[in-house]
Formats: sequence, structure tokens, C-alpha cells
Amino acid sequence: MTKSVNDEVAIIIPVYNEASVIRHVLENVQKRFKYIICIDDGSRDDSVGEIIKTKAMLVQHPINMGQGAALQTGIEFARQLPVKFFVTFDADGQHRLEDAMAMLTELKTDKFDIILGSRFLGSSIGMKKNKERILKLAIGFSNLTSGVKLTDTHNGLRAFNRNVAETMQITMPDMAHASEILEIIASQKYRYKEIPVTIEYTDYSKAKGQSLINAVNIGFDMLLRKVSK
Amino acid sequence: MIFLFQLVVVLVAISIVIVTLGSRSTHSGRAWKKIALVLLAVGMVAGVLFPELTNTFAKIFGVGRGADLLLYATSIAFIGYVLNGYLRQQDQRDTLFRLARKIAILEANDRYNVKK
Repeated sequence: MTKSVNDEVAIIIPVYNEASVIRHVLENVQKRFKYIICIDDGSRDDSVGEIIKTKAMLVQHPINMGQGAALQTGIEFARQLPVKFFVTFDADGQHRLEDAMAMLTELKTDKFDIILGSRFLGSSIGMKKNKERILKLAIGFSNLTSGVKLTDTHNGLRAFNRNVAETMQITMPDMAHASEILEIIASQKYRYKEIPVTIEYTDYSKAKGQSLINAVNIGFDMLLRKVSK
Repeated sequence: MIFLFQLVVVLVAISIVIVTLGSRSTHSGRAWKKIALVLLAVGMVAGVLFPELTNTFAKIFGVGRGADLLLYATSIAFIGYVLNGYLRQQDQRDTLFRLARKIAILEANDRYNVKK
């Protein structure tokens, strides 16, 4: 892999109240990638001010809509760019660029449509035991309901080709989008692969993490969606 | 025998909820909801005017008193109402979000001179 700036990939980063870390994350990403799309999801802090100091492109939601909705906006905007591949990346600095690069290498073999990151194949630095337990539960639930068998179902690091970007339609605006993406993978029959990634849980990302009770909301919404049309 | 009726009532109740949710956007789905609402109202009036009539029905279904039967019917109607409202609210939210997304993308296209 060359160290030059890659212009065939769009990095999609949903941002919500990340003013203290976003600039640092973006400055790292822009060393390697030309097209960085930041979707500000109605942040109340100075995230927007920090983003425009970098080379990233800013797409600004007029209201707060949730991470799933922000991803969909980013994908729809990125479709218009002259890129072949798309990567979704978290704004809080818990993902590693090397992992994204490894995913792109897999994508370029053209054997897969979408590559997913798994922290259980790789490693998680500083994950709380409680969080791990809940995640394992969520993974079991998702493997039962989505039709896609994975070791990590709620990982924000994903890479996919244009075919996936053109057909992906995320409708769950909140955290349930992670499960919805897997359902889309199953129904569209995308060729998928998981590769190990390292997630660094800093105090910052831990503080921003999901509350566990929210799993109830996600489960309820997913089941209700299955019986209704 | 009574147990069999109770089982049937429970199954019917569950299928009412599922059918309501599954057909909320079709004409027939909406029509059935109106019919169910009218039936519930008729049942209520009948229950007031002829208390022993609801008792007779309740005996057939194996649920004790007529007042209980009405309570169960009302519960099912309530659950259906709540779920329906929740789903409708989500539909409206989806519409709002699609609009907001369009605005965000148009604005960004303008800023970065992206041509589709």
C-alpha cells in the first residue's frame, strides 16, 4: 500500500458533538484519503467549526436525526463523488486507519461487496466486561434474526463497493441501523466478510457509549418492523 | 371445551394485532379497523342496554362475565391503537428525515460544486 493520498475511496464519518476530538481524527484521515465526508447531525457544540478547519467535506443535518440517518446521508452524498469504494468510520477516534486499509485491500480483490470489522476477531483495548456481555447478547440476537452470521454485529467500521452504496437504504435512524444493515446484507445477498479490527476504548469513547437499556428499544423496533409494513 | 374457546380467543386477539400492523397501509386494512371500531361501539351500547346479553357471549367464549369480555375487547383495541400510533409517528419521522436529508445534500452540493 502506497503512502500517497487515495482518491478512489470516500470516508464517511457521522459526527454528533465531537468537537474535542474530531479535528485530530480528521487530520489523521486526510493524510491518506482525499474524500472525507463528515455528516454533522445537528451538534450543539463546535463540531462544525472544527470540521471546516480540515479538508473534510461537511454535510450538515438541519436537525438531529441519529447515527443511522447520518450514515445514509453520507452514503447518498458520497454516491455523487467519483469514488469506487466507501468506508464508514467513527468520529471519536476508536477506529484505526490501518484496519480501514486492510478492508480496502480485501474489497479490491472483488471477491466481496462489503467488509465488516470485528473486534472479537481482533482486539478491544479497554472494553468494560459489562459492555462485552451485552454486546455478545446483541450478537446472538442479531445472528438469530438477521440471517447473517457474524462475530461482531455492532461495529461502525465497514467498507463496501459502489453496488452496495447505490442500493443501501438505511431507514432506522438510531442505533438500530447496525442490525438493519445486516438485514440488508442478507436480503440483497451481498458477498460479505469479517476481518479483525482493533477498537481503542478511550475514556472519551466510553463516556459516549450506548446505554445498555437502549437495547430494549432496538429489539422492540426491529421486531415491530418485521410484522408491520 | 372452555379451555379450547379461551385458546381461540387468545389466538384471535394476537392475529388481530398482527393483521392490523401488517395491513395498516392498505385500503382493506383501514376498512377493517373501522369495522372493528364500530363493532366495539355496538358491543358497548349492547352491554349497557342488555347486560345479560354480554354475559351470554362471555359464557360462550369461556371468560366469565360480560364485563370481562368487554374489558378484553377494549384491551385489544387499545394495544392496536398504541402500536398503530407508534408506527404512524415513525412514518412521519421518516418523511421528515428524508426532507432534512435532501436539504443537507443540496446545501453541501452547492458548497462543494458537486454535479450529479
